[in-house]
Amino acid sequence: MSATALPQISTRRRLTDKVMRGSLLAGTLIALIPLILIIYYLIHKGLSAWAMSGFFTTDPTGSFFGSPGGIRSAILGSLEIVALATLISIPIGIGVALYLTEFGKDSWFANTVRYFVDVMTGVPSIMFGLFIYIVLVIGRFGGSGFAAWKGAVAISLLMLPIVIRSAEVVLLLVPSSLREAALALGAPRWRVVFKVVLPTSASGLVTGSLLAIARGMGETAPLLFTVSTAFALTFSLNQQMNTMPFLIYTDITSPRAAIQTIAWGTALTLVAIVLILNLLARFVASRSRMA
Amino acid sequence: MQETRHQFHESLRALEEQALDGLELVIQQLDRALEAIAYQDVELAGMVVADDDRIDGRYLEVHQGILSLLARQAPVAGDLRIVAALLHVIRCVERMGDQCVNIAKLVPLSGYEAPKDKDILDAIERMGRLARSQVSQAKQAFAGRNTELAQDLVRQDTEINRLNREIFRRAVEVGDNLDMREWAMFMILVARCLERIGDNTVDIAEQTVFVVTGLFREFADTPTPPEAAATP
Amino acid sequence: MNPPDTTKEQTDMSTAGGPSPDRPEVAPQAPKAADAKKTGHAVNVKDLNAYYGNQHAIKNVTIEFPANEVTALIGPSGSGKSTVVRCINRMHEEIPGARAEGCVTLDELDIYAPNVDVTAVRRLIGMVFQKPNPFPTMSIFDNVAAGLRLTGTKSSDLKALVHSSLQSVGLWDEVKDRLNEPGIGLSGGQQQRLCIARTVAIEPEVILMDEPASALDPISTLKIEELVDELKERYTIVIVTHNMQQAARVANSTVFMLDGEVIEHDETNKMFTNPSDERTERYVTGKFG
Repeated sequence: MSATALPQISTRRRLTDKVMRGSLLAGTLIALIPLILIIYYLIHKGLSAWAMSGFFTTDPTGSFFGSPGGIRSAILGSLEIVALATLISIPIGIGVALYLTEFGKDSWFANTVRYFVDVMTGVPSIMFGLFIYIVLVIGRFGGSGFAAWKGAVAISLLMLPIVIRSAEVVLLLVPSSLREAALALGAPRWRVVFKVVLPTSASGLVTGSLLAIARGMGETAPLLFTVSTAFALTFSLNQQMNTMPFLIYTDITSPRAAIQTIAWGTALTLVAIVLILNLLARFVASRSRMA
Repeated sequence: MQETRHQFHESLRALEEQALDGLELVIQQLDRALEAIAYQDVELAGMVVADDDRIDGRYLEVHQGILSLLARQAPVAGDLRIVAALLHVIRCVERMGDQCVNIAKLVPLSGYEAPKDKDILDAIERMGRLARSQVSQAKQAFAGRNTELAQDLVRQDTEINRLNREIFRRAVEVGDNLDMREWAMFMILVARCLERIGDNTVDIAEQTVFVVTGLFREFADTPTPPEAAATP
Repeated sequence: MNPPDTTKEQTDMSTAGGPSPDRPEVAPQAPKAADAKKTGHAVNVKDLNAYYGNQHAIKNVTIEFPANEVTALIGPSGSGKSTVVRCINRMHEEIPGARAEGCVTLDELDIYAPNVDVTAVRRLIGMVFQKPNPFPTMSIFDNVAAGLRLTGTKSSDLKALVHSSLQSVGLWDEVKDRLNEPGIGLSGGQQQRLCIARTVAIEPEVILMDEPASALDPISTLKIEELVDELKERYTIVIVTHNMQQAARVANSTVFMLDGEVIEHDETNKMFTNPSDERTERYVTGKFG
């Protein structure tokens, strides 16, 4: 008995396969082009700023003529403000996520909270700035108009829904069998959360937080109405402070080329910091997966 | 929609049929052995002896089947009791077959032209019929899970035991004829074989009750009435 | 001279009066150990009803779990056996919408009395689950000690306690050189024994096991069963299993449940050789379920 050969693949299918692969590849490349262009321009324009002496170590002078100075106060200002925002949003965000997964679960209240959190992720960042402007800045709350801490509050509001969403996802990934095991041993609820659920989801929470921080670093609009800017380096949180996004915003439109270059350099710095944070997040995530 | 473990229950049913069919073989052997005794047919007796191989073969088949079922199917509860009972039943079948062979072997020994005592011969004949009916009833009782029928076997067995004692008494008083006396001795042995066959059917009856109720109880045999113990 | 009767001696070996076509009630045969188990703790479930929302899952269940014995719960899926067990250590109420009514007592203590601290109940009544669930972020040592740390119990010699717990589950020799390695690095059977060690370390009085070996390979299963047999010297054990052979091997007495009700509760031996109820017979011989 002779075996019949299996049917061959038709040329039409072969052609369709090639066409689809090609078009998907083309689409991917098209999507990548702006990204590559951005990075190219950033490096092209900003690298020369990095090479300037004192770029990282001096504050901007604020004057149109003469040396424009460096961006030290902006870098440190950004870091300060975002650090404060992190300190506010991460504990509160994780706390809300814990409530939603451990206690609220499927109640109507928890679902309402979830809905509003989702809405908040879509709110334009400028709204947070305006909100803080109206509530805190205009009334000179705390004895100051524009202040760094108020900007931090605005940024934390922006980071909050991101932290809540990602934390909730991670917490839900903790298998319920672990909670059951802890409960069955006679552990009270709070110990189950702090000694089992949080440690198990720790790396996921860290990853989510890092991503939220990366987002917070780059936001400009909230800072416009809450922090404004300053030139000198300051550590006082109740005053105006310099930030990188604000610096870019003001300097990029300057008629003087040297100042424009500063702006590009700042942009490059900002992107570099965000990139590092993202890489850190990936590193933490991959290490936990391998453990 | 087949019930679960269909295969297993089919195998169990087939095994039971095989074992109970052995009782049919025994009946056949018994009929022939008794005929050989009555007409002193040596050839027929030889056939009975040879055919015992069939019963032995059946025993091995059923035994193997039981082992296989236990190993592979892990029967429990009612199924387990059936399997355990079948082990007993097929043993009884084999023993009954051996008793038929013993009867057949007594044929050439009792002499070709030996004089026979009519009473003893009648009694043997009656014992034979009783034994036959008991085997048949045992099969019916087990197959039908009929505990009343099983209990009834005890009553019939009492009758066989009585006949056994009667034959013994008759043989003792059979007279002075040496040949006749010799023949009578052999008839005693035949009666004993038939009585053992009867006991085996009672065993099967006990197994029937065990399968149905889960209780194992030896059926009380009527004790020997004191007045029958005659002293010569 | 009469020939001796060739029939056997008449020994009446049964306790009942005589065979009858329908199944008589038979007194169980196994001798009770002479009151040696004074240190044990018995659990009594009386008229228990449990609900998942509106679904009435357990209907008026009454079971006695004798001290220092293994009682198995068997029955088809959905018969409620896991639910009964979860009502004993009050894990049932952790499920949203679930509630239980009735009386469950551990010795003289009423587990469902108002204002009872649920965590205290669970420390007395431990539980082992179907899928081994050691804590992934903890080492082997920490896993065993977890019960104590999670309940805030102080122990005078933690190391000795961990050592003895691991020994009592037969795991000490296998892990004594790697106590600091993560608990999830062990094989399935070892993980389950680790979970049992974790439960044993808090020194409960009763251990509930919800299909403890169903996720394991046959050798590990047998090891767990041997372990159960040893553990009953010190604890009262309730084991839920859908593997009837396991119940037959391991349990002193067995409860058969169907649709949330107890159908039969008897010595394991009787249950598997001569069950009283027709439904038990049919389930146990595999005719349904």
